[in-house]
Amino acid sequence: MHELALAQSIIEVVETRAEECGVRQVRAVHLRVGEASGVLVEALQAAFTMLASLSPVLAEARLAIEVTPHRAWCEPCASSFAVEDFIARCPACGTWSTRILSGTELQILDMEVGADNEQGGQEQENNG
Amino acid sequence: MPRVTIARNILAANEEVAAEVRGRLAAAGVRCINLMSGPGAGKTTLLERSVARLRGRLAIGVIEGDIETSLDAERIEAAGAQVVQINTRGACHLEAHMVRDALEALDLQRLDLLFIENIGNLVCPAAWDLGEDLRVVVVCTTEGDEKPAKYPQIFAAAQVLVINKLDLLPYVDYDPERVRTQALAVNPSLQIFSLSCRSGEGLETWCGWLWHVGRAPERSSLPASEGPVIQGDGAAS
Ligand SMILES: Nc1nc2c(ncn2[C@@H]2O[C@H](COP(=O)(O)OP(=O)(O)O)[C@@H](O)[C@H]2O)c(=O)[nH]1
Ligand SMILES: [Mg+2]
Ligand SMILES: [Zn+2]
Repeated sequence: MHELALAQSIIEVVETRAEECGVRQVRAVHLRVGEASGVLVEALQAAFTMLASLSPVLAEARLAIEVTPHRAWCEPCASSFAVEDFIARCPACGTWSTRILSGTELQILDMEVGADNEQGGQEQENNG
Repeated sequence: MPRVTIARNILAANEEVAAEVRGRLAAAGVRCINLMSGPGAGKTTLLERSVARLRGRLAIGVIEGDIETSLDAERIEAAGAQVVQINTRGACHLEAHMVRDALEALDLQRLDLLFIENIGNLVCPAAWDLGEDLRVVVVCTTEGDEKPAKYPQIFAAAQVLVINKLDLLPYVDYDPERVRTQALAVNPSLQIFSLSCRSGEGLETWCGWLWHVGRAPERSSLPASEGPVIQGDGAAS
């Protein structure tokens, strides 16, 4: 889909966070991306590599992507199941009233930073 | 190696702006529909017909993000809507900040219903919240009847599906029932309208629904239910 726009957004978030924490060199950025989020992981990697090379803090950074499976929860069966082709119907009892558990995430989890950074130390959770 | 927590949705910046847009529209009592489709399914034509039919009954605004020619906007304006154009310069989807900027050119106090015509693309627009209340996807009988199976994300994220160009059914190999079945499989609460902008078939029902959307006093009383609950999308787990 719009991997370039996503990569741009990731870089902006990471640059802001790096500045807040006095980080000069980001080594890696960890993402959690759902398999049903529509993101092409290779395209996102390529877009990130291209844009990161233009950013002083991110020039050396690698993107580590954890892909989560598309899964849903069936309340009557009290069990979870794999969602195939976006069809969140319980394969055991056939109900449609299920709840998506994972697979749609587009999250920036954290970043690895160089040891030489004058890190503020406090990793405050000021955004969610 | 030291780690620094970020715990932020990649699209959070867009979602913050979308929330701002949603707040401004709610404060002005304006309902907003994000209209999405593949290229040429009939979004502009549907807007033109809907605005003309609801003229005098519902004050409609349109943010045009999918301009082929400026004639499109002129046609909708002539039908009786306030229209703002967004120059998207080859973008593949609209983002919330474009809508926020476009709101400046609209007199919200005088509107009941605001449409955003998204860029003709069934992939990218699905991920970007624009601050709308409802998402409507338009498909048509000339584009192949496997669209919901091929692009499930956008159908899963919508509340309403419009199947347009029913007048062409005799000439094409298109099974509307197949589309309905596929679409309901990815989104069981999807509300579906079948119509033809050309013949007018189905437009009365569609416009009746729009009228309810535009006049609904509470957001919770909007006539379409929410899509499936998505968990694990927002906060870090
Ligand atoms: N036969 C037929 N053609 C239609 C209908 N609705 C739209 N069209 C035509 O389909 C083409 C694309 O329509 P348009 O509204 O520009 O699609 P958009 O790209 O989604 O905005 C135009 O030539 C319209 O006249 C319909 O119900 N029947
Ligand atoms: Mg159009
Ligand atoms: Zn079950």
